Amino acid sequence: MATISSSIRCCSSSSSSSSYSNSSYIEVHQKNVPFSLVSPKRLAAKKVSLQSKCNPYSDVIIMQDGAVGTTAATTENKAPLKKLKDELLSIIPPDEHKEPIEVRGNNDKSTVSITVVGASGDLAKKKIFPALFALYYEDCLPEHFTIFGYSRSKMTDAELRNMVSRTLTCRIDKRENCDEKMEQFLQRCFYQSGQYDSQENFMELDKTLKEHESGRISNRLFYLSIPPNIFIDAVRCASLSASASDGWTRVIVEKPFGRDSGSSAALTRALKQYLEEDQIFRIDHYLGKELVENLSVLRFSNLIFEPLWSRQYIRNVQFIFSEDFGTEGRGGYFDHYGIIRDIMQNHLLQILALFAMETPVSLDAEDIRNEKVKVLRSMRPLRVDDVVIGQYKSHTKGGVTYPGYTDDKTVPKDSLTPTFAAASLFIDNARWDGVPFLMKAGKALHNRRAEIRVQFRHVPGNIYNRNFGTDLDRATNELVIRVQPDEAIYLKINNKVPGLGMRLDRSNLNLLYKARYSKEIPDAYERLLLDAIEGERRLFIRSDELDAAWSLFTPVLKDLEEKRIIPEYYPYGSRGPVGAHYLAARYNVKWGDLGVDE
Amino acid sequence: MAIQLSHFSSSSTTFSSFDHKISYFSKWVTDIHFRRQLRNNFELKSTNGYPLNAIPMQDEGSVAKTLGEEVPFPEFGEANSMLSITVVGASGDLAKKKIFPALFALYYEDWLPENFVVYGYARTKMTDEELRNMISKTLTCRIDRRENCQDKMEEFLKRCFYHSGQYNSEEHFLELNCKLKERESGKLSNRLFYLSIPPNIFVDVVRCASTKASSATGWTRVIVEKPFGRDSESSRELTKCLKQYLTEDQIFRIDHYLGKELVENLSVLRFSNLVFEPLWSRNYIRNVQFIFSEDFGTEGRGGYFDNYGIIRDIMQNHLLQILALFAMETPVSLDAEDIRNEKVKVLKSMKQLQLEDVVVGQYKGHSKGGKSYPGYIDDPTVPKDSVTPTFAAAALFINNARWDGVPFLMKAGKALHTKRAEIRVQFRHVPGNLYRRNFGTDVDKATNELVLRLQPDEAIYLKINNKVPGLGMRLDRSDLNLFYKTRYTREIPDAYERLLLDAIEGERRLFIRSDELDAAWALFTPLLKEIEENKIMPELYPYGSRGPVGAHYLAAKHNVRWGDLSVDGLFLPAFAAGKICLDGFLLLYSSSLSKKFKDQKRFWWSGFEVLLSVIQI
Repeated sequence: MATISSSIRCCSSSSSSSSYSNSSYIEVHQKNVPFSLVSPKRLAAKKVSLQSKCNPYSDVIIMQDGAVGTTAATTENKAPLKKLKDELLSIIPPDEHKEPIEVRGNNDKSTVSITVVGASGDLAKKKIFPALFALYYEDCLPEHFTIFGYSRSKMTDAELRNMVSRTLTCRIDKRENCDEKMEQFLQRCFYQSGQYDSQENFMELDKTLKEHESGRISNRLFYLSIPPNIFIDAVRCASLSASASDGWTRVIVEKPFGRDSGSSAALTRALKQYLEEDQIFRIDHYLGKELVENLSVLRFSNLIFEPLWSRQYIRNVQFIFSEDFGTEGRGGYFDHYGIIRDIMQNHLLQILALFAMETPVSLDAEDIRNEKVKVLRSMRPLRVDDVVIGQYKSHTKGGVTYPGYTDDKTVPKDSLTPTFAAASLFIDNARWDGVPFLMKAGKALHNRRAEIRVQFRHVPGNIYNRNFGTDLDRATNELVIRVQPDEAIYLKINNKVPGLGMRLDRSNLNLLYKARYSKEIPDAYERLLLDAIEGERRLFIRSDELDAAWSLFTPVLKDLEEKRIIPEYYPYGSRGPVGAHYLAARYNVKWGDLGVDE
Repeated sequence: MAIQLSHFSSSSTTFSSFDHKISYFSKWVTDIHFRRQLRNNFELKSTNGYPLNAIPMQDEGSVAKTLGEEVPFPEFGEANSMLSITVVGASGDLAKKKIFPALFALYYEDWLPENFVVYGYARTKMTDEELRNMISKTLTCRIDRRENCQDKMEEFLKRCFYHSGQYNSEEHFLELNCKLKERESGKLSNRLFYLSIPPNIFVDVVRCASTKASSATGWTRVIVEKPFGRDSESSRELTKCLKQYLTEDQIFRIDHYLGKELVENLSVLRFSNLVFEPLWSRNYIRNVQFIFSEDFGTEGRGGYFDNYGIIRDIMQNHLLQILALFAMETPVSLDAEDIRNEKVKVLKSMKQLQLEDVVVGQYKGHSKGGKSYPGYIDDPTVPKDSVTPTFAAAALFINNARWDGVPFLMKAGKALHTKRAEIRVQFRHVPGNLYRRNFGTDVDKATNELVLRLQPDEAIYLKINNKVPGLGMRLDRSDLNLFYKTRYTREIPDAYERLLLDAIEGERRLFIRSDELDAAWALFTPLLKEIEENKIMPELYPYGSRGPVGAHYLAAKHNVRWGDLSVDGLFLPAFAAGKICLDGFLLLYSSSLSKKFKDQKRFWWSGFEVLLSVIQI
């Protein structure tokens, strides 16, 4: 269903007349398809992606070769053409159109109001409004929508618009009508000031929303971009006083979702007083990253990976996150949570679950999340032994002095909060028994990156053994999925160095996104906002997932805090504490990222 | 004499003092170490920042070992041995274009032994000087290191000599023997004969060379080029004759495709990577395609070709050899005998080719853009009624546990639209694919594919399904790439260099053993007979086209789709793509001048689009 809903999601071509019936939808496809068949391949691909921006979901695989687009023999061309058409039609069998997805209901009669609670905050300015505009710019928002900013500051609509407009940008690759579009978008932005815990203020919001909805079916999305201590208040007020009367009401919540099992459970309980499970959208923006999305595609739509995806062939898996800056004066929030809560327990663990899950029954949100929960529940809770923590200290390099973590004014001088952590996790199921899953996350390191590295086992009975010397594990295959920066996938293989001798060499089979796809890759927030609007829950975290995730980390977090374990100090801009290497060595693993690799 | 030309000749000349000898000795020892280490001791160069592993260990362990237990001759006291390479048929084309340049390249890169001479032998009367003059025209230095190019050439040419004689005259070979002896001046003599002559005189030469010009003290080896007969019988006959004068291990049957870089790499890929071997069977591989195409015809030199045809010229040897390497089981070791044993097993497990599994074609004249290209039978050296195939496609099957039911398709042709040689491995579709909806009804359309491009522009790429970045869920087939040109800047050596060096070193891995040859002929002989006896008419295809459509029907019969008939532009290296883009643009431009495009605006736009789309890659 996922693909279907996605294939339908943003088809409101705003330029044309709007309400689209089934037939017009199909027409869109037909218009594009023959074109792509007669024109040179790459051109076609480009056309499709330009024209059908809002059916980027034609769900047709772009074939780089094969008969389509070949001029070889006419007999060849006709069959696939017809076939392709059939396929396109078959993708949307008639019954799919009864799909009770709200957006698809009559656009004329329904409206979506997106309320950004905490509109004056940083996240709202930097991410949420720009993402909403990008969606609007690409015609992915429904016909009727309004955006409300809500926060305590007193502001007029114009002031909000002014503030928002500064952070909006158009897609680099298509700049047409940029200013116009911005104007139009800003016209739909409004502001309402109010207290986060005041039902009255929310009631006022409700009234204004109603005005804008002017009798259409109202769907309401609240984005809570506020500190966690006022989550519940805002949810209570919004749900009691500003829920949609006839459409849906959904609430997007950002991390942190509690500090441990107990507080998280309490938060969930409190949320559930006012909201149903399917109204809560817990965002983990890492799940919206392009390559994380692609992870499942790679695994499940390629024959060559799935047979290798188990303890039989995989030696270890590494999830690596690093930032090249510290807290830089904004350590207040961070110090309370630390890197394990901030990065590992959510982002990295979520990716791990996606990586390691069994094949889901379908791509439906519930099916995928069921599998993810299974992975989490098969995991051993972490113990202190499995974790190395670190904290950066100041460092002077080339005349510039970089401050240590505790030099940050917003951080207590005696803080033991880890800014770096490495952990080894194990999944005790049939597929992964004994395979170490290593995680590493840190701030103020030497580079900025996020990647997944899959190290394969050595070749049993390798006839090229002489070439490898004593350590067979040194030259194994490795699959690297670089999530950021410069999205890429590459597979390290052993290869003969060209020449008369027989020298082996590890080279890469590469896919660099920049080189292959010229389109700008959308920000994770765009994808997630769109999914929330469409009710696609695949990339959001369900309560039981959250519980399972916390139960893995809570014991070790408690231990670290109660025993006041001292982090290993590492200089700002370094590669992190050496303890991470010893942790890896214990499981016979070598971190794959510490090379002259890229 | 030859010593005079050694590294030290320029300095003091004779090595009277004992000290000098010692230092000289140790010099070559280190030389040999260096070379042998490069070549025989495998090492792994890691690019991922790990220390260069294994090297120290190898230096101590295996060099010592190889010196100790060294059996082959060439390294046996190199200073006291002399290698003579006699190119029989020195005035021929192959000798000029391939053999001498390859020998020079080996010399240039210090792969040849300290003492060596090169002799040209042919019927033409020529002086040493004339031979040198002739050769020098085709020698080139490696593009990537041009130092001392002229000096090196001079030195090399000084070691080249010529002897004229009949191919069937034992006397003349005796004379050659005398000359060689003179050059060897008492050193251990190793002799390599390269027969670059027509097949009908193979046996004569081998007889004369072996009876009159064999080495008395060292080894004598003979390199033979294809054709090795026309069918099972003639091939067996040839082998029998050769074996009258030579033992099996003196015969080096060259198949220069086996010397290609990516063919060498095939085994490395398979056996030194965990990720490929599990997939290497009928469980995961749907079909394998071996594709060879040339973009020119016989061009006035069809005499030889017409007698053999494309099946004998390309398929039965080159493509079949690659197939055997591709499909063989893991050998016990990398030793020549172990590898060749496995290859023979593959060939023996194969089903004999049937006529219905083959499509033959012949190119006909074709006019394009005002230029007309001649058909095969327009070639004056070809009989007007020739039905010799210049194109063939075949489906082969290996009836063993690993490959049962997997079609191995071959396709080879002349005068086609491109020049290329590649191996394509198409994998099966993903069972129970979650993303099936995205693929439409034909799940085989978007399967993974591994492509090894042997020429031109060596590359390896693996086609994978990937999500197109963006908000939707559109899948796309992109590649995991390895372009040799971008990764390895060094020039890739010619296949002949590798093979000559192997023959000098006695490494037989890349040469064809008699039983391999037999097995290969056994597969093709009945079919060839049938085609010839029944005078099967080839399907005609225009010069420069994609070949006869029959090849598609053959593939379709086995549920295969040829992987090469596509706008594969994406896999060109960026600069090539850029060139195409430019060319395309110029083409459009010129066609606009010819008023083909009335609407200038539209023309420019379309040109722009082409440009854009290419840049997009």
